[in-house]
Amino acid sequence: MDRLRNASSLALSLAGFLALLLAPALALRAAQSTSTVPDIDPRVAAGSKNAPIVMEVFSDFQCPACKTLFVTTNRQVMDNYVSTGKVYLIHRDFPLPMHAHSQVAAQYSRAAAQLGKFEVVEQVLFNNQEKWEQTGDVDGTVAAVLSPAEMTKVRALVKGGTLNAAIQKDVALGRFYNVNQTPTTVFHAKGQTFPYSGVMSYEILRNFLDQLGK
Amino acid sequence: MMQSSPLNLRRTIIWIGRLFIGGIFIYAGYAKIFLPIMHPRPSIGIALAFFALQVGSYQILPPWGVNFVAHTLPFAEVALGVLLTIGWRLRIWAVLSTLLILGFFAAVVRSYAAGMQINCGCFATPEPLTIATVIRDGALAALAVLMTVLAFIEARKPHPWAAPQP
Repeated sequence: MDRLRNASSLALSLAGFLALLLAPALALRAAQSTSTVPDIDPRVAAGSKNAPIVMEVFSDFQCPACKTLFVTTNRQVMDNYVSTGKVYLIHRDFPLPMHAHSQVAAQYSRAAAQLGKFEVVEQVLFNNQEKWEQTGDVDGTVAAVLSPAEMTKVRALVKGGTLNAAIQKDVALGRFYNVNQTPTTVFHAKGQTFPYSGVMSYEILRNFLDQLGK
Repeated sequence: MMQSSPLNLRRTIIWIGRLFIGGIFIYAGYAKIFLPIMHPRPSIGIALAFFALQVGSYQILPPWGVNFVAHTLPFAEVALGVLLTIGWRLRIWAVLSTLLILGFFAAVVRSYAAGMQINCGCFATPEPLTIATVIRDGALAALAVLMTVLAFIEARKPHPWAAPQP
């Protein structure tokens, strides 16, 4: 009787194991890696195009978590990884419909990018987020860091309405990556793609970037 | 001589709990270590560093704690899953699994209640933490508690195939 009990127990355990071993084969096949990153506008990117790691940051200028990521983490990434040629950092616009002024802020940053002023405008928009999201004064915020001549060009570009196409391209790319919140960072390295949503601590991100760069 | 069926309700629930929770643990650990959703698959070092990002997003542990958990939890999950499925010393592994699941459940509830827009990190997929995650983890925690309680009750009863007491 003991033998029968042991045999039935073993058979059931083995059946359970087989089922479990087959489970990974049914796993979700998502986030396929791409060896090339499409539609890169170098005016909203920083670093070397030949860097071994590409970071695409899908961001909304009015999103508080995007500001946190920019201020606490991505600045250190710029200093330690982008400037040393290890990371190519790409800004992607992903203005969320719930934010009233996100689209306008994205337009101003895109317009500034055409004048080679993306970085300063990105910085002023994030640093003063709490102010302009109350008043909607994106124009005044951007004007604080651009010359009057540059502002005239930026306003003309924003009024021209041609910048929305580039923003929509980024949004479409985000949807391709299944981005549904901001900030979402998509890492590319060695033909692999790693999407990550939310704010990252620099100390932890540094380990990940070091592993990717090995 | 058999005194009762070996699969009464209590033992059936324990079996289901063992196989289901054990299977989930094995797959969750395996997915974190090997990232089966990625093609080509990254190295284990990259996979665990990526998992560390997800552990960090809960904002519960300091960076050294995040790295410790990220580099040990997936292996602990696989080991617990295997031991639970085999059923050897069931009560010990049932208690440990239940404590772990209750810990996960507490972290998920806390993050959801705080409105944190993060990924669950449960199976190494980019899965947002939503109310569905809370309900799923709650159901799993309830099953784990039930399995553990029943395993202790079962241990006090004589086995149905055991020889009758003189």
